[in-house]
Parts: sequence; structure tokens; C-alpha cells
Amino acid sequence: MKRTFVLLLIALSLIFSSIVSAQTIELTYWTHTDDNRSEIENRYIEEFQKLYPNVTIKRVVNEAAKMGDLVLTAFSAQNAPDLFNLPIEQEYGYMIHGRVAPVNYEAAGYANAEELVANYLPGTFDPVTMDGEIYGLPLELTNWAIYINDRVFRDAGLDPDVDYPKTWEEMIEVSEKLVIREGDIIVRRGFDFRYPYYLVAMLPMVEQLGGALLSEDGRTAIVNDDAWLQVLNWFQEFGPHGRNLGSPTYTSARKIWDYDNDDMAMCLSGFYQQGRLRIDNPEFFESGEWRVIPFPVFKNAVQDVACAYYGHYLMVNAQASQEKQYWAWKFISYMLDHPWEYLETVNIIQPRNDLLEDPRFMELPYMDVFMNDMERGHIVFLHENGYQFERFIKEAVESVMLENMDTREALDILREKIQEVLDDEY
Amino acid sequence: MRRKRGFSMERKKALWGWIFVIPSLLFFSAFSFYPIINAFYESFFNRNLLSLRPPRFVGWSNYTYLFNSRDFWLSVQNTAIFTVGTFIPLVVFSLILAVFIMSISRFRRFFQLAFYAPAVLSSVVAALIWLLIFDPRGLANQGMNALLGTTGVNYNWLSDTFMLRLSTIVVYFWKYIGYFTVLFVSGIGAIPHTLTEAALIDGANRWQLFWRITFPLLKPTTLLVSVMTMIQCLKTFSTQYLFTSAGAPTRPLNVITLSIYNTAIKDYRIGRATAMSILLFLVMFAFTWLQLRVSRTEEVTFM
Amino acid sequence: MHLNKTRSWYLEKAGTAFVWLFLIVACALVLIPLVFMFTASAMPARDILRLPYPWIPKGIHWPNFIKGLMGPEDDWIFFRNAFNSLVVAGSVSLFTVLLSSMTGYGLAKFKFRGRTLVFMLIMATMMIPFEAIMIPLYMVAMRMGLQDTYAGLILPFLANAFGVFLMRQFLITFPDEILDAARIDGAGEIRIFTNIVLPSSGPSVATLAILAFRSQWDSLLWPLLVVQSDEMKTIPLYITRYMAETHSDEGIMMAVAVLASIPMITLFLTLSKYFVSKDGLTSATKG
Repeated sequence: MKRTFVLLLIALSLIFSSIVSAQTIELTYWTHTDDNRSEIENRYIEEFQKLYPNVTIKRVVNEAAKMGDLVLTAFSAQNAPDLFNLPIEQEYGYMIHGRVAPVNYEAAGYANAEELVANYLPGTFDPVTMDGEIYGLPLELTNWAIYINDRVFRDAGLDPDVDYPKTWEEMIEVSEKLVIREGDIIVRRGFDFRYPYYLVAMLPMVEQLGGALLSEDGRTAIVNDDAWLQVLNWFQEFGPHGRNLGSPTYTSARKIWDYDNDDMAMCLSGFYQQGRLRIDNPEFFESGEWRVIPFPVFKNAVQDVACAYYGHYLMVNAQASQEKQYWAWKFISYMLDHPWEYLETVNIIQPRNDLLEDPRFMELPYMDVFMNDMERGHIVFLHENGYQFERFIKEAVESVMLENMDTREALDILREKIQEVLDDEY
Repeated sequence: MRRKRGFSMERKKALWGWIFVIPSLLFFSAFSFYPIINAFYESFFNRNLLSLRPPRFVGWSNYTYLFNSRDFWLSVQNTAIFTVGTFIPLVVFSLILAVFIMSISRFRRFFQLAFYAPAVLSSVVAALIWLLIFDPRGLANQGMNALLGTTGVNYNWLSDTFMLRLSTIVVYFWKYIGYFTVLFVSGIGAIPHTLTEAALIDGANRWQLFWRITFPLLKPTTLLVSVMTMIQCLKTFSTQYLFTSAGAPTRPLNVITLSIYNTAIKDYRIGRATAMSILLFLVMFAFTWLQLRVSRTEEVTFM
Repeated sequence: MHLNKTRSWYLEKAGTAFVWLFLIVACALVLIPLVFMFTASAMPARDILRLPYPWIPKGIHWPNFIKGLMGPEDDWIFFRNAFNSLVVAGSVSLFTVLLSSMTGYGLAKFKFRGRTLVFMLIMATMMIPFEAIMIPLYMVAMRMGLQDTYAGLILPFLANAFGVFLMRQFLITFPDEILDAARIDGAGEIRIFTNIVLPSSGPSVATLAILAFRSQWDSLLWPLLVVQSDEMKTIPLYITRYMAETHSDEGIMMAVAVLASIPMITLFLTLSKYFVSKDGLTSATKG
């Protein structure tokens, strides 16, 4: 019994390996795990291979959290995939260092760059344009807004139609009313962040108050100390040493929000959360007992900035042969030509005009909130060392929230660290 | 004539020595020596992992950078705290448990198996379990509250600097205590019975038996266990890596290996990362050498 | 005299009681997380982080296990991944033992120039953290075409410095007379190694085999780099696929943890006489 099972598995593995037979062009495509997307993309691959029998495509998936490390290691070892996607803040470094190739417009089915740009939402290609060349095609553009569980609101005696938080100050007050604690231990949270993504969600809060991470010329770290201090103070008040409303050590908010277990009232997430909700908890999804509200602003905000949006762009390895690059762009364009299916099955939005101008598009639940916030926001902060900066911000917020460090001290350390990277001529 | 034969015998033996050693030397060369030499070489260059530019030779500057870096010293401190905090309790408690297990007459096998059980789980599983236990609503807070008679106190297992370091130590201790206990048990088992019986006939009690017979004779095992634990602790990575990727603050857990990983993979500075590894290597080498040196003076040979 | 005797008798009894109490408490503390894993795996997520923890599940919440086995893409890849882990850990363990005992034997029993140097070099490799050589090692493996293969997961770990150290320490005490007697009887060096040396290094070989098996079973970083297809993934990678925050709740996670541990626990219980050392146990039977 055991033996036959083992033999069976060996036979299976042999079959798997024999499928990959000699072909003229073999493309490797690395992307992050997303079950619904795998389903449709595997189908596109099959169709594409039928259309062009000289091409085989190997699709490799890894969890989103590990993708950055894996792609980097592969590139540094000259063993990189022919095409891949990463969050734009990570991909930026690959562009700067010339590791990715410009779009082959002909292969992608466009006459030239202008025609490509004209087919997309204005500004789509700003983050991937360098020296007049475009380096990636967007798989998705995502921004986050706040999802609310109406039942929890009503349970706390709040009316979700009126009492939802419009400012960050209100966010604290509303959370205080929603929170249930057992001693110091929070059993139900009002709101909580997606903590590691400080560039997406926290930096816009600083910008609302007129602050910035870097000066215009990019040489000085931390602009407008007061803005930074106010935001850090806000986090301190929100955290366990202040009003004790939430902290990075509790379970990820948007994960438990889906389950409607009376332990999470509000979370921060993208349009795609609805797709996950439909799978995780169809009953709650259908109930209509939830809504989406815009990203709050501070009362004393000097400008209206919503949550930053970020994107995944498909890119092609510059070290791949010209022929491979050509086919890679052709394949990318073939996949992306199904914007509705991506939206319906995976809930991700390609910023293409043919999708956005479709009358069905704006009728999707709360799409107006997301599109509105997208106009209020801007693309996520891009810098070669962006990830390092995000880690430093994370350290600053954690020391303020969890170790009760003085916000001034935390800000000074943050400034010093970022400045050091800026000055570093490594 | 005879001398010549003896000479060739020796040569033949030397040849056989090489024959036995060479296969694994091939593996060591490809998968250990070469990467290590490569790391040493890279530590004198500045190379951005993403960049296609040739690396720039910078001499010792990666090392001097580290000596002046606050973060590097913090990671040294974190590693030292973890190593001392784990290494001493592990050696002491595994020795106590082994002696206790060997002093009872029944259930010896059961206790050994029970203590060993956590070692069977992989680090990822261990991290999964403990992250739930250390959750503010998890068993750790409940247990502490029950034990200390408090209600609803959050002991901040995953957020407070001290508690977070303690948490990683607890996980590591839990995972390896059984393994070292079993090593000590076999060490005690290897002590000739004639010795212990003779001591008992002479009227020694258990306490005296331990200090006069068992402990001195366990020196080689103790040495082995402590060298192993120390090297392992200095190299600790997976617990800290999994905790921080699950959302725990990085600063208190940023041990050298984690710092090496982040400097290379997240910040692309491979030269600095390799310089850090060479320093860690030197420290480990020094400690091991010291331990072997100290213990060699009173080597016990009964085996 | 009589009084003394009873006093020491009481002391002895009190000592025994203390030893038992200590062992039982320590044992309970060590086992609690395991009990937690098993009980939580049978509960729906909403019960797991409840105050206070319910401990006894109301029946088994099967969806946890079904989802855990089916995998994130409903393709039952768990079985294939578990099989991979067994193949990798098993072969690393087998070949490590063979290579380490050969090397240990060569270093312990044969005099040749450079012997100490070879030993020192091998020992030094123990002290370099894996993260430091990860990238050059990855380049070597890729150049050898080991990407996404069993060989890629196995070969880099066959050269095991600790194994060489362990076997050398053990074999140094091996009586030379036996080896010489065999040589006089005309046995070849390889025969001596396979028929005399290897069979008599039982305990060390078992220790080493288990150690190598366990560390491969545990390995996360290297498989992450080398493996690309889901079919080649090992158990730790299967779990981290689940850990990606979107996929699952606590109940499923604990069910996956239990499932991932079952092969190792089975192995552990069947081979327990090798896990817990033979020496300790033989003396146990003697009392």
C-alpha cells in the first residue's frame, strides 16, 4: 500500500518532468500567489502556447511576502526570470540599475509609446518612465479605503450612516466606543492598520499635515517636524501606552474583519477585499451589513491626501535575449487584454481606459469611493532605498507605540538613519 | 628492505586516508569553502546586489563602517543577550533533567520522549504555535494572569523589548531542551556502573555522587553540549526571522544573522553583509577555541 | 545510629518526591504548547483566541483539516510536499552518515600530511552562518543546474562539519588492534570500513542520522531559493504558503501544523529507541 503510493508519486513526478520537452523559446514568469489569478493566467498561458507553439511559459508562484527577496537573489545570481511582477516600490530599484528592459511596443501591440500611454489612465506610466522609455505594464493599481462592519457599529450604539470617522481625531474617538477590553487585553478592536505598509498608509497622514519624507531635491530627510510629531503622537495615543486601541502585535485586522466574529469593526483594504470576503464569508458579503468609507484626514490638515496607491507592473529581464524579450512583451500584452476577467475573478483593477470607461465599472460596489480616493491620493513613495526607509519608519512607530519612546527622540533617530542612507556613497 | 616496506606501508595508509577524506572534501569545496572564500573576498568590496556595475574595492572600510554603526552594535548586543540567555539555562536545565531522569527507576523513557517531542516539530510550526500563544489573547497572558492572580494584564510578549527577547528565548529553550537532555542522559548512561556502585558502597549520598562522580565524568558531554549550543545560539535565525515577519518589532530581535540577511537582501549591500559574517565567524571561532582550550587541561578518559 | 538512618531515609524520600514533582511540572510545561496545537486544530477559529481558552474542543471541526490538506489551490499538493520532505531529509541523512563516517574514519585512523589542516578547515565551516554564504552558494547551485531539483535540495548539505567532528571523536577511541587484526587477515580497507567500523559506530551514526534528518525537515531558507514549482516544495514551504495572511484562519493554521508534524511524529514514535539514546536506556533496564 505504502509502496504503491510511493511508486505512484515517483511516476507522477516523472510525468511532470517529461512534459517540459525541448522547445525553441522557454519563458519563465514569476508572480505572487493569488489563487483566482492562477486559474485565469494558467488558461491564458495554454491559449498563448496554442497560438504560438514555439513558445512555452513556465509560471512560478511564491507568496507575496517572499517575492521581493527571491527575485532579488535570482537577479544577483544572474538567474532571474524572464518576466515578473513586484510592487512598484520594489521594482523601482530594478529600473534604476538597468535590470529591466523597456517595453517593446510592437510586441505589445502598440505603434509607439504615445499610443500605449493614450490607452491608459493619465499618469499610469509616470512611475515606470525613465529617460523617455517605459519599463512596465500595469497588472493592477490599488488603493485602500476603510471597510466598516455595520453590525459592530450598531452593537456599540453607533449609526454607521452618520457616525463613521471622517478625521483621524474621530477615528480615535469612534474606536474608543467600539473597543471591548478584558483588562488591558483588547477583545474587540474599532480600527487597526496594516502595519508593515507605512509608505502606503502612514506617509499620506504626514503629508496631510504638510510634511514629507524627503526634501524636494531628495538630499535631506524629514520635512516639517511638526507634521511628523503630530502623526507619531497620534500613533502613540492609539497604541497600548496611550488609549490602547490597537497595536501591530494583534492579528492582522483585515484578515479577521472578513469573518464577522464581533472582534473587528474597521480595517484598511483595497477593492480586492470584496473578492476575498465573498470567498471567506459569503453570508456576510451578501448581507449588505458592511460599507466602505474614504481615507480620513486630520482636522488641521493643510492638504487633502488619501491613502497612496501602489501598483504591480509586469517587467521583463534586460539580460534576457532580444527574442525572449519580444515574446515576453507579447505574452504580457496577451494576458492583460482581459481586464474584465481580472476584475471579476481576481478583483484587481487595470487602469486601462477600456475598463474604466465601461458603464458597468462604476456600478461595482463602492467603486466610487475607491476612485474618488485615488484622485485624492498619489502613487506610493518611490526611491531606490524606499524599503529601507519603510523599515526605519516601522522602527520609529514601533518604538513610539510599543516602547513608549518620546516621539521627538524617535523622530531624531529616524531622521539620522534616513539621512545616513542618503549620504551613503556605497 | 624492512624499512622500505614500512615506509611504503605508511604511504599506503596515507593514501587510504586521503581516499576516505576526498569525497567529502569535494562537497566541502563546492558548497562550503568556495562560498566562504567568496564571502571573505566580497567583504572588501562595495557591491550593490542589484547593480550591474563591477564591485568597487574599498579595503577595510566595510569593517570600519560596522564598528561605527549603532545598529551593528545593537545587533551584537541582541545576539549576546540571546546567546547568554539561552545557552546557560539550556545547559544547566538539560543537565538537571538528565540527572533527575536517570535517578528515577520508572518512566525514564517516557520523560525523555516527552522532553524531546518539541524538537520533532519544524521551526515554522513552532513559530506558528508560539505566535498564537503569545497573542495578547493567547495562553501566555492567561497563564501568567492565573499564576500571578492578576486579571486582564497584558504582558506584551510580542511588543515589549524585554518580553520579546524572553519570548524568543522561551521558544528556543522549549525546542532544544529535550535534545540536550537526551545527550546528557546518554553521557550518564556511558559512565561505568562499577564507579557509581563503588561510590554508593562507600556511603556517598546522591548529592555527593553527582558532584564527585557523575559531573566530573560528564565533562566531555558537557563540553560537546556547550560548544554546540553556543554556536547554534550565535547563529540563531529562524525564530527571529519568523517572529519579525509576523509583525513583532525588529529592533529587539535584530540579531547579527537577521541583520546580515536584511543588509544583503533588503538593502542590497552585500559587502557590508559579508563583513558582518566574517566578524561573526571570528567571534564563534574564538569562543570555540577558548572552550576547547580550557577543557583540554582536564580531559577525562574513561570511554 | 537508628535515628540517623530514618533521617536519611526521609531525606531520600523527600528528594525522590522533589525529583518527581520537578519532572512532572517540567514535562507539563513542555507539552502544553503541543496540547494547544492539537486541541486548537480541532476548533473553529473563533474559539482559539477566546478568553479563557476552552481547551476541550466540541468535536472536531473538520473543515480545518480538509482545507489544510487540500491546500491553497485545492490540488492536494500537501501529499506531494510531504513526500518531498521525506525524500530530501531521508537522503541527506543517509548520505551525510556515509560521508561523515568515511571522513571521520580517515581523519581518526590514518596519518597523512595535512590531516590537521583538513580537520581544522572542516571545523571552521561550522562557524559561518548560512545567511552569509547563501548568495554565493545559490550561484554555485544554479551553475550546476540544480534549480528546482531534488539534487539542489540535497547536495549542498551532504558535507556536514558537525557530522565529521562527531564521527572523528567517536572513531578516535576505536581500538587499533581490531583494525590491524583485520588487515593481517587480508581484509581490504573498504571491507574493514563497511564491515567493522560502520557497524560498530551504531549510536553515533544514529545520533547523526537523526540530527541531519531533523535539520533538513526544518530547512526553510534554502528550499525557498532553490524550489520554484509547487510540486517540488517541501513542508515548511507549504506552511509558509499558508502563513501569507490572506489564506487562512487560526484553526486552519493549527490543522496545517498538525498535518505537517504527523510524518515526523510517526517517525519519532516508531524510531523512538534511536531518538532517546540506547545507552541511557540500557542502563535504565539495569536499574
